[in-house]
Amino acid sequence: MQMELTPNTTPSGFLLPSIHAAPPFFTEQPTPSTQSLFADHWIRLILSYARHRRLFILRIEDAEGPGSDWDEILRNERINRRVLPSYLSSLIAVLVSKELAVYEPAKQTRSVLLLWRQPEEWAEALHVWATASGQLNTILTFYEITDPPIPSPLSGLPIPLLRKAINVLTRSGRAQIIGVADGEGVRLFSGTK
Amino acid sequence: MKVLAFDGYACSILSYLILSTCTHHSVDSATPAVRNIPAMHRLGGVGLAAFERQQESQRSFATLSSELSKAQVDHLQTQLTQFRTALARFAKSHRDSIRRDPTFRHAFQRMCASIGVDPLAGPRQGGWWAELLGMGDWQYELGVQIVDVCVSTRERNGGLIELGELVRMVGKLRGVESGVITEEDVVQSIKTLQPLGAGYQMIDVGGGKKMVRSVMKELDDDQGVILAEAQAEGGRVVEEILVNRRGWTNERARAALENMLLRDGLCWLDAQDERHGRAYWVPSAMRWDE
Repeated sequence: MQMELTPNTTPSGFLLPSIHAAPPFFTEQPTPSTQSLFADHWIRLILSYARHRRLFILRIEDAEGPGSDWDEILRNERINRRVLPSYLSSLIAVLVSKELAVYEPAKQTRSVLLLWRQPEEWAEALHVWATASGQLNTILTFYEITDPPIPSPLSGLPIPLLRKAINVLTRSGRAQIIGVADGEGVRLFSGTK
Repeated sequence: MKVLAFDGYACSILSYLILSTCTHHSVDSATPAVRNIPAMHRLGGVGLAAFERQQESQRSFATLSSELSKAQVDHLQTQLTQFRTALARFAKSHRDSIRRDPTFRHAFQRMCASIGVDPLAGPRQGGWWAELLGMGDWQYELGVQIVDVCVSTRERNGGLIELGELVRMVGKLRGVESGVITEEDVVQSIKTLQPLGAGYQMIDVGGGKKMVRSVMKELDDDQGVILAEAQAEGGRVVEEILVNRRGWTNERARAALENMLLRDGLCWLDAQDERHGRAYWVPSAMRWDE
């Protein structure tokens, strides 16, 4: 078997690193030092792919069969290898332990919310967007933030992550959660910063 | 062209040195020997006088001997000075070529080796390279870059890197403008790393392939064989290859592979191999294109 391990661009335009063409990369390694190297590569890959496709949720089911949003990285058809659900499960545990993901919903371990941006960064993005679009001091529903008529950096943001971002702003006095007719809303202030 | 001109020059330095050795010998060291001869003829005398004569002749011999050695040392010193002047003149006038042109550099190294001078050894730190060429830094720099590549790829290859790959990565690290680096340069530099006791060592895995080991780990014969097979297979080794090609038993093959995987971290496991279920991959033998 003569093969070159080359980087490869997926149909969605994502550049896979050359290690993704190495068959053993899809096997959980019994040697701890090797596994920690592989886990680092996988975590970087998962987060950068999530950012590339604006994916927020990763589930163990995503490794169970073809057809998931994650096929481009969890499978490599060129070498006929895939990440098995048990391996994805341990990668998810590493993501959570490094605070790069949180179990969502809580109290289960089969699905995570990915933090390819930390809540603090989402908070800044939210504040910048509200300021630029002249929506400070008005009440915004969560829906108006995550599904604005003009696409924004916050389009598609999952509510649990939005809530974390708003909490960050609340702590610095730049936001206030307000009950509205059909659920919750938020009022953003210019604040000191 | 350059190499030819260079070899011609090397020859002329050599012949010059040989000639000067001969002439100096006949003039300097022969004369004092003749002056001190008289006492030598009457060693066979008798009585007290003979005893004193013997004493005296012994003293003269001692004087002669020390004069002789002094003359020889002086002579050697002169020779060395002349040699160094010649080498320095040569090195200085060809300095740029030595730094820039690997072929020329190796011809120079070969010349130094043939006359028994190690360009890296010398009176000062950095040796002749440093003294004559300002190349001490160059060798140090290369050494540092080799260590850099070995250390930064260690977690991925378990401390074993193919020589060609190492040369390529060092070259990449240096950028284009600092000139071409060859395998010989790297081998030379690894030799200079040896006294540091960091365990840098060249391993010949057969088939013209060499690997550089940067961890203090003894490789046993079985591991050497596995590395050689891995090189031939683009990194992948399975039990069957070792059984069929090397006549190993399955037990021996499995034990050696598992040792390499678990004990030494020198290979990776692929549990989805189509034909064997379990394949071992030696990352230092895999062809990476990054």
